[in-house]
Amino acid sequence: VKRGLVVLDHAEIPAEEWTDRVRALQERLAVEGIDIAFVYGDVHRSDDIGYLTNLCIYWNEGVLAVPAEGEPVFLTKLSPRVHRWMRRTSTVSELRSGRAFGPLAQELLGGRAPGVLGLVDARRWPSLVVDELAAALPAWELRLLGDLVRDRRVIPSAGELALLRDGGRVVARAARQAGEPGLAPAARVALVESELRGAGFTDVFVTAAAADDGVVSIEITGQYRHGWLRAARLVSGAAGAGGAGGAGGGAGGPAWASVLRAGLAAAIDAASAGASATGVAAAAEPILGELPAGATCYVDWINQADLSTNGEYERHARHTPLPAGTVGAVSVEALFAAGGRAVVADTVLVGDVLADHGGARRLTAVGTGDDGDDEDDGNDGNDGAAR
Amino acid sequence: MSDPMGGTMTRAGAGADTGSTADAAERAHRYRRVRAAMAERELDVLLAFAPGWRRENVRYLTDAALAASAAMALVPAAGEPSAFSARRADLPGIAGAGWVSDVHSLDLPEASALTDRLRAARPNRIGIAHLELLPLMLAQAVRQAVPAAEIVSATALMDDVRLVKSDWEIARMRRTAEVCAAGWQAFVDVLEPGLPEYRIVAEVESELKRLGAEDNFMLIASGGDDVRGMTAPGPRPLERGDMVRTELTPQLNGYWLQICRSAVVGEPSEGQRRSFELFNAAVEAGLSVVRPGVTAHEVAKAQNDVFRARGYGEYCTSQYTRVRGHGHGLHLDETPIIEGNKTVLPEGAVFIVHPNTYTPLAGYHVLGDPVVVTNTGYEVLVATERKLFSTAEPGESAGSTESTASADEGRSS
Repeated sequence: VKRGLVVLDHAEIPAEEWTDRVRALQERLAVEGIDIAFVYGDVHRSDDIGYLTNLCIYWNEGVLAVPAEGEPVFLTKLSPRVHRWMRRTSTVSELRSGRAFGPLAQELLGGRAPGVLGLVDARRWPSLVVDELAAALPAWELRLLGDLVRDRRVIPSAGELALLRDGGRVVARAARQAGEPGLAPAARVALVESELRGAGFTDVFVTAAAADDGVVSIEITGQYRHGWLRAARLVSGAAGAGGAGGAGGGAGGPAWASVLRAGLAAAIDAASAGASATGVAAAAEPILGELPAGATCYVDWINQADLSTNGEYERHARHTPLPAGTVGAVSVEALFAAGGRAVVADTVLVGDVLADHGGARRLTAVGTGDDGDDEDDGNDGNDGAAR
Repeated sequence: MSDPMGGTMTRAGAGADTGSTADAAERAHRYRRVRAAMAERELDVLLAFAPGWRRENVRYLTDAALAASAAMALVPAAGEPSAFSARRADLPGIAGAGWVSDVHSLDLPEASALTDRLRAARPNRIGIAHLELLPLMLAQAVRQAVPAAEIVSATALMDDVRLVKSDWEIARMRRTAEVCAAGWQAFVDVLEPGLPEYRIVAEVESELKRLGAEDNFMLIASGGDDVRGMTAPGPRPLERGDMVRTELTPQLNGYWLQICRSAVVGEPSEGQRRSFELFNAAVEAGLSVVRPGVTAHEVAKAQNDVFRARGYGEYCTSQYTRVRGHGHGLHLDETPIIEGNKTVLPEGAVFIVHPNTYTPLAGYHVLGDPVVVTNTGYEVLVATERKLFSTAEPGESAGSTESTASADEGRSS
């Protein structure tokens, strides 16, 4: 369940931007001859609906109905007693609750002449819900649509980018604190939870994975408003010894830690506009060849728009060129032959290679300024940032 | 492990004999139950699907923590099971748990490792647990792999199998109960005027994670008698006189358990005290009927009858809140305790009795305890006192409106 802060603040995202987001979808619907689009979301994956309305599906499932003309309506399996809260924290004024989407859709569209109902990002809809809608609306043509909303989320607006920068600073600070010496892994996780949720993150996932030599990877993934950030750092695993200055800090720690960090730096260097996820991985591969024998290594680029699912539905997109202005997580993960796992990661803003500051800039490095420039603080996530 | 992107894990000798004797017995017990249920329904293959928010069935079959947005377990009527996860980092954990030795990446959208095994099984009839949540891309992959097979939902099958908890499971849930109690204590400790709701959650969450919780389901509401329900937290700062309500539900070693309490910032009002008395009487009434074989309907009715007898019956209707509790286990919200649900709750069933709803006395009130059905009645699993907590009271000893239930007592006759 999402249990962090939910707030609608027009100082962060102006009211006109919210209106424009819905209007852009409606214009696309008009072009494609679709009378109304349904956008599905559940607690695990609801960023399309959040992007359009700021609605937080903190639990269960919901469908946002967006007519080609008119106001969106939210259909949900949550109780009507949360409608007041949802109206207060979103741009939606009409909400309807029910136990199933078929009857809700029937009720919503009952007074309209049958037409074309488009299902946005249809391949991820529960297939039985699609069947249920088809049975409930026999006179309507159901059209399976692509990722119309997700595609618009790939490059954040100025307001969204400002929020990502704010969130990135919080993640960076938490990652550094979690790397302090003398903490047990669970205490490190607890510290990050307190920092991120205390700073207003909506969703937080923190893991502590150990390598066979005791080095611990603290991996942080968090949702700040509707943007996602990820960072991972290496710290000594033993309470009372090591810390960010050990495995994580460059000097000291096992040799493989330096290799992993150098691999991340190379991958981030390669994450410029026009590059692909495959190209980002390829840039790190020569360096990662120096990892201990038998280690298996993975380099991933995941757009922040896909981090709620860890990009697990987007693997087909590994050859798509990264556009300038996009934000994503670059991670380097090693699985060791003797067992154990290690990961380093940062969230970066992809710059324009033709601009002065081409290449990627880390948003989750301590000391990151408002202009996106990094200030090296010796933390493991910060070295080698592209400038 | 095979090639980097294939992510296949095969663990020689993995299975029941790699864990402790108790783990092996538990695994054998579960697979016996699942296969007996499959035989009853004439299923050749059971597929358990785990989207990111409903992982209970795959966990039941693998005893492994999952982080993936999609995972599956495949159980043939005979032979070894297989498991699949879209999250690479899940694979060593599944193999390491030792319950399933054939572990693979769930490479979306093709899901080739899964569909290869489905084809090889040549099933006539497949049951899919959480078929209702299976995304179109996976449904199509399954259908194309075995076009002639009949596909039915096995969600209820797995709900039934998981309803009765073994001693092994209840031992785990007792540990979760300790974390529940600690989480509630952290909640009360942090309450003070001016603190925003989301900061309360931050502190509680930190404490739960420090104690090893994997996850937590938590809703919250603060304010006066205008509060109608709970949601995710907002920026509202606490005020003196507020009642702060929460459902706090940590997950530890896979098992969720919930505690429901309300606390007042400052001295409780007369309305808040009367509200507590009403809700506590309803909890007591619900608990009083718990014994092996009671139905969810009967537990709900016993609670609602207290509201009805005192003139608050309308607040138990669909206009407010009808659910009077729910089952616990590897899912936090198992069979609902609600009038009309004829599900029988046998010995070993675990659920929370909570009459949470709105009344005009003090707004939405939250109070409830999780119990396990014993051979003579029930046992309350959390040790936290059932009272109206107040920050005006020193320490934990305060509260003029206290109940008598605790983890050490509460057996009905």
